[in-house]
Amino acid sequence: MTAHAARPATVTAPPGTWRLGRRRWSVLIDRRALVAATVLGGLLLLAVAVSLALGTARVELTSTLPAVVGVGEPRDVLLVQRLRLPRVAAGVAVGAALGIAGVLLQTLARNRLATPDTVGLNDGATAFAVASVVAVPTTLAPSAFALVGSATAAALALGLSGGAGRRGYRFLVVGLGVGAALGALTQLMLARAAIDDANRALPWTVGSLNSRAPLAVAILAVGVAVVLPLAVLLGRRLHLLRLADPVVLALGQRVSRIRLAAIGAAVTTAGLSVATAGPLGLVALLAPEIARKAAGPRNVPVVGAALAGALVVVLADLLGRTVAAPVELPVGIVTAVVGGPYLLWLLLTTRTRRIP
Amino acid sequence: MTGTLEERATAADLVTEALDVGYGGEPVVRALDVRLPPGAVTAIVGPNGCGKSTLLGALARVHTPQAGAVLLDGRDLARIRPRDAARRIGLLPQQAEAPDGLTVRDLVRYGRHPHQGLLRQWSPDDAGAVDRALAAADLVELADRPLDTLSGGQRQRAWIAMVVAQQTDVVLLDEPTSALDLGHQLEVLELVRDLAAAGRTVVAVLHDLSTACRHADHLVAMRGGRIVAEGAPQDVVTPGLVRELYGVEAVVLVDPTAGTPVVCPIRRLAP
Repeated sequence: MTAHAARPATVTAPPGTWRLGRRRWSVLIDRRALVAATVLGGLLLLAVAVSLALGTARVELTSTLPAVVGVGEPRDVLLVQRLRLPRVAAGVAVGAALGIAGVLLQTLARNRLATPDTVGLNDGATAFAVASVVAVPTTLAPSAFALVGSATAAALALGLSGGAGRRGYRFLVVGLGVGAALGALTQLMLARAAIDDANRALPWTVGSLNSRAPLAVAILAVGVAVVLPLAVLLGRRLHLLRLADPVVLALGQRVSRIRLAAIGAAVTTAGLSVATAGPLGLVALLAPEIARKAAGPRNVPVVGAALAGALVVVLADLLGRTVAAPVELPVGIVTAVVGGPYLLWLLLTTRTRRIP
Repeated sequence: MTGTLEERATAADLVTEALDVGYGGEPVVRALDVRLPPGAVTAIVGPNGCGKSTLLGALARVHTPQAGAVLLDGRDLARIRPRDAARRIGLLPQQAEAPDGLTVRDLVRYGRHPHQGLLRQWSPDDAGAVDRALAAADLVELADRPLDTLSGGQRQRAWIAMVVAQQTDVVLLDEPTSALDLGHQLEVLELVRDLAAAGRTVVAVLHDLSTACRHADHLVAMRGGRIVAEGAPQDVVTPGLVRELYGVEAVVLVDPTAGTPVVCPIRRLAP
């Protein structure tokens, strides 16, 4: 027998993590998730800078970020702050919201195809936002109505499928049905509305950053700022939710509470993003995939998905503005064109049983 | 099994009183009174649909009793905070699935959850418990391998190691050996015996009566949501019990090495 070394004073952290600890307190940081978030954040910053630089009048790339805070040539500051930043900021907020909604829904349904597009949250939000424009034309109404709409869709999908977890697949199928019904409702309202009302409601049906309302963007930004930290705090439990319900219960968690919190967060972010930019297809599917690829299997990458979502939307909008200039393609069309083939590839290549 | 369990568990007294459990509607388990002997392996056996998994689910707090109660050391389990209960009772459900790409150690770390908190994410106890659980399940060499590269028996041992890391006095296992071949079954059952040898109260739902007789100290035989017989395997397993449970005519022999009953089915009896 070799002599055993004395127990080291420091605790060995599990592989791939850093442990920050002091006396009884300790926090584990997943190295790969941290690196992934840093890289995605850097790419997002770069995409934002490029987006601010390009347009009919160019701004030097290095001048863009200083111009955001008002430093530099007055012309650059005007172009960046007044004309381009609102659109880019809206893109960041919308993308982050969809990324969060996507990763939460996928995790709680244990299915990578469960996103606000597929389970009907976006359709519900759209239907209600359109109804609000056609019926009650005030500026606050679309945000409030879109929230109610996505909550209604979530309640319908959950209620009719008998819960999300064990029956993740059923939740998905019922959600598809709910989404289709609410989409038909939107079409019906647009067909019946006066032509001016229908025109005003159109932005909420295509997914575009062209005609976002400043108030809706502000409400969305507040929503993301509130939901993101809460979702991060929920992260450890979300991670647990990837195991079967009996395991989670036996580990001392109240599964239904975690699930309720997650669905509340997804409804809020999805609804508010639709109120801002309409239903942007496939962002909520792409962003969590990118984040998971980057952050590895040890965690539910909430921050990563938010950053990846923002990155996807900013890049898609940049592409839509530049590829066929001076014609602007709505960002929703770009994400659908890019995301469609990816969705097909996902369906054809991955095992359907895989748990996200 | 080369692994050893260092920490000894305190004896836990797990009892049901007039327990009714079901899935809404008619209870599957009815008016059940049973005491699970502390520090021993109890096997719950019976035909499909007899309520054995449902009973295990009630012991694990996965199902809420419709009537009656599960008592842990005399306290109603439903009134114990979930986290506290999870430090006393661990469960390995049937056909547990893990997310993609997790390693054995990642899975075992899940077991520490009831002992952790938002600002207490990795204590010296956690590190020690995970290391000892890996050693107990003989998985130290495989600790950093992804689960999907392991054999069925190794994977099942990893799941049991997760429950071991939870450091509970009671360990509940739902058909831990189903879908495993003979060698892998023994691999898992020897680990189960080690758990009881370290003072844990182990309750396992087992499909095969002879396996249950060979590896359990105590047998609970169920049919139609009720207990038909309970006791030491050699005392309760008779051709009459096999007929009553499964409607099968059988000869009961004695295992020449262990002295436990071995059931040889002959033919199905007309209902």
